[in-house]
Amino acid sequence: MTLLGQTYLLLSKDLLLELRRRDSVLTMFFFGTLLLFVFHFAFDLPPDKIAELAPALLWLAFLFTGTLGLAQLFQSERDNHCLDALLLSPLDRGALFLAKTGFNFVLMFVVELVVIPLFWVLFNLSAWNLLPRLFLVTLLGTLGFCILGTITAAITLRARARELLLPLVLFPLMIPVILATIRCMESIMRTGAMDEAMPWLRLLIGFDVIFLTIGILIFDWVIES
Amino acid sequence: MHLIVNQLAKAYGFLWALRPLDLEIVPGEFIALLGPNGAGKTTLLKLLAGLTMPTAGTIELDGKTLAGNSATLRGQIGLLAPADHLYDQLTVLENLRFFAALYGKAQPKNSLAAALEEVGLAARADAFAGTLSAGMKCRLSIAKWRLLDPALLLLDEPYGVLDGNGVDLLEEFLRQQCAKGHIVIMASHHVSRAVALCSRALVLHQGRLSFNQAKQSPWPSFELAYGDFLPRGGL
Repeated sequence: MTLLGQTYLLLSKDLLLELRRRDSVLTMFFFGTLLLFVFHFAFDLPPDKIAELAPALLWLAFLFTGTLGLAQLFQSERDNHCLDALLLSPLDRGALFLAKTGFNFVLMFVVELVVIPLFWVLFNLSAWNLLPRLFLVTLLGTLGFCILGTITAAITLRARARELLLPLVLFPLMIPVILATIRCMESIMRTGAMDEAMPWLRLLIGFDVIFLTIGILIFDWVIES
Repeated sequence: MHLIVNQLAKAYGFLWALRPLDLEIVPGEFIALLGPNGAGKTTLLKLLAGLTMPTAGTIELDGKTLAGNSATLRGQIGLLAPADHLYDQLTVLENLRFFAALYGKAQPKNSLAAALEEVGLAARADAFAGTLSAGMKCRLSIAKWRLLDPALLLLDEPYGVLDGNGVDLLEEFLRQQCAKGHIVIMASHHVSRAVALCSRALVLHQGRLSFNQAKQSPWPSFELAYGDFLPRGGL
């Protein structure tokens, strides 16, 4: 079976398990929504500062929400030692990386579909026409988060305090992605165009491509050690 | 499948779970892996399955060295852990379908149903694996490995959870595997059953291979080697 075929098989299995359990997506959704309400009551954003602060607040919510999802990423494999069953099989470990990245991306995408419009409503933002462009940038940022997050979750998989260790390892590595995504969104919200955001967008795309390739190449070593 | 183990050893920190071990197993052999708790049986099985990296030594299957990234070799190794390696939230049939596809041996639904029929699980095909008893999960694992047909099958304590009929099913399956020229290595504390089935017995004690002989009748050297660990009353 090809790498993509194996990825599809694993991803379908993970999505089916999540559809049956719904624990990750529901936890992430409620936590994300809760954070937005906390931000709404805690900050009174002045209209001239909204373009600077809104992307940062939104990504703060995504970071925490996404980390919750990552902590559960290998749960189905931990149960009944199913990870051993996968490692024992002739599966290409790159496919496992792609499937887990894809699975986390789908979960975060579903949460973002609700959280971003809700953010607009709660903070009374009027620029609804910018949403598609902002959403595109968010997806690229989310992909970067999921790629690094999957590698980090695999590294901390067998650690004792993995839930504590995961954000400690992940967040410093995420700085380029977060910076590029927030700067990109801020430019779009301020100018309404993509021109100024292009250098950050290129950085984001480059980061995603490089780390996706690195992930496929090193996941074999990461998951075994 | 020809298995050669050269100076294979495993240490966890300062503790040697398995001391340097040499072994050669030819096609069709059934190895009973015996020894008291903590002797290193499970460690040896995990090393042979490629699930643990050895501290020293190599494992060769048909002349090729087993490493974590050798997907083709891994596809020929099976590890039957009685109630493990199954997804609780997938149904019995879905588990079977998933693992068959993972090994590139996708089967039509009626073949999967037939495999379940053979292990007495046809009526539970649509039940979640998590709702099965440990014995039924073991039967599902038997069905899984029957479908996947590995050239080297490793078993870790398979008897504990099976009823009488399940034991017959398992032993019949293992005999069939050996008849096909495949290798079976079974770690067990059910000495009499394991010895009755095997063609050779290995005894591990404190990580060392203390006995390695083909089965004979009578077999006084085995009784001597295993004497300390035998249940009261002997074999």
